Amino acid sequence: MSRSRLRISLLLVIAVLYIASIPWYRETGQMPSLVFGLPDWVAVALFCYAAVAVLNMIAWLLTDIPDEDPGADRGDS
Amino acid sequence: MSFGQLGVIALVIYLFGLIGVAEFARRARRDLSPSDHFLAGRELGVFVLLLTLYATAYSGNSLLGYPGEAYRRGFSWIMATGFMMSIIVVFHALAPRLRLLSVQHGFVTPGDYIKYRFGGDALAKRLLIAVAILMIAALANFLFAQLKAMGELTELVTDGIVPYEAGVVGLALLILFYETLGGMRAVAWTDAAQGILMLVGLVSMLVWLLGATGGLEQVTLTIASLRPEAVRVPDATECANWLSTVLLLGLASVIYPQAIQRIYAARSGTDLKRAFAIMGFMPLTTTFVVTLIGLVAITRFPDLVAAQADTVMPRLLEEWATAGPLASIAAIVVFIGALAAIMSTADSVLLSLGSLIAEDLLGRSRQDPATTKLGKRIAAGVLIAMILLAMNRSISLWRLIELKMELLIQCVPAFMLAMHWKKTRPGPTLLGLLVGTGIAVVCVLAGTKRIYGFHVGVLSLFINITIVWFGSLTPPRVPSLRSGDAAGVQDCSG
Repeated sequence: MSRSRLRISLLLVIAVLYIASIPWYRETGQMPSLVFGLPDWVAVALFCYAAVAVLNMIAWLLTDIPDEDPGADRGDS
Repeated sequence: MSFGQLGVIALVIYLFGLIGVAEFARRARRDLSPSDHFLAGRELGVFVLLLTLYATAYSGNSLLGYPGEAYRRGFSWIMATGFMMSIIVVFHALAPRLRLLSVQHGFVTPGDYIKYRFGGDALAKRLLIAVAILMIAALANFLFAQLKAMGELTELVTDGIVPYEAGVVGLALLILFYETLGGMRAVAWTDAAQGILMLVGLVSMLVWLLGATGGLEQVTLTIASLRPEAVRVPDATECANWLSTVLLLGLASVIYPQAIQRIYAARSGTDLKRAFAIMGFMPLTTTFVVTLIGLVAITRFPDLVAAQADTVMPRLLEEWATAGPLASIAAIVVFIGALAAIMSTADSVLLSLGSLIAEDLLGRSRQDPATTKLGKRIAAGVLIAMILLAMNRSISLWRLIELKMELLIQCVPAFMLAMHWKKTRPGPTLLGLLVGTGIAVVCVLAGTKRIYGFHVGVLSLFINITIVWFGSLTPPRVPSLRSGDAAGVQDCSG
């Protein structure tokens, strides 16, 4: 997989993690159990955000930000 | 020595430190050009860049407002960690290409991209002015909020020895002094020092709090017994609000002029991407920490009414200070850290305001040596106006502050859509911006901030994008140069 495709895949996984961080799938008003001292739905959100931080870091390191023109132009992604 | 006297000494040491940094920055100055003053000669390395991005992104609101919000809303405020992180994620859509263009064409202000992308026809000029007005309104608003917070915090840290009014005027003038003296270089260097102070202060405070309350599990169990709704799974509206807040903050924050200008100011693309790579972790060490601080406050002050929730941080610090001399010094460090967060945001806002008004709004030429001087004078004028407003302590512009992000997000299509979709035209972009802004303003002023949990600004953005999308697909009535043609390109270097 090319660097560019891998970067886009990581960004898509990050989007999925954002959706998963929100407890849509849980019953409203449910009293949670504790995980690492936090309500379980909060622990899931925190896990998702920690994963986002790691994947985001990898995605940035895969990003090419040239300081000289590689031939790119406006609005043509 | 009393807490207040200790606070005065710490404040004086801190302020002299800032003046010293500004003097170093002045000596490092290469010339008097706008590029050197407003972008530090485009030579910010990864360490300074990271810390200035960090200190600028985390304002007084992050350190004083977010614990209060966590106190009010409970564990669902974990969303704050997510939305602060989303800013760095959204930068993927903007920074790489904007950085390259800024190097190629010598961008200094956000409007330089608009000029480059849409050319110089009448509609493009109107779009440039509309974007500039929205950005200036958001920045002036932001500056006002920081000035008020500076005054309140100074009075607190010195236990009233330095009154609110003296805090506002004194610190504002200091910011003006070091910003005028050293420009972006002084701002970035002081931001770096302030960022470290903020981080150290917050982490030490959390360690004390968790130690004093028996650990995280005990805190959660106590909250569950005191306020069960703060622990329970949130309802659908709160979940929708969670998503909406991530979108609002993520999209609007990257359009902040001071954020855009830091993309221009990086020494190299490699430094920029490394800074962003590390920056993604900062919400875990800052926003999550202040969220926990606000939650711990529920166990220590369970009966505060909603309006008092914003005072939880100072209350906790006062309590901490009574635990002994060492704790008193540590509490002062956090207070100064919070003040640093406010000042580092205010100085960045002030710097951006000067360049934005002089160049994007008034259209002053960058080649004119007087432009930098004019930018400095305008920034000083705006600062004085905001100081006068902030002198009236009872004045409430909080509704306008709420509007800030809802306004700024309407500029998203002019940058991000235009950058990734070559058919984007200035006319529909201007129309979308005006309609989106109009709807957001009317709804907020009418008291409707959210619809089914979604911010009106986010909903307006969808309408805005729809207008830009369909409008740009429709051929223009008068044949003109297609966006992207060479004739539209303007070199902004100078």
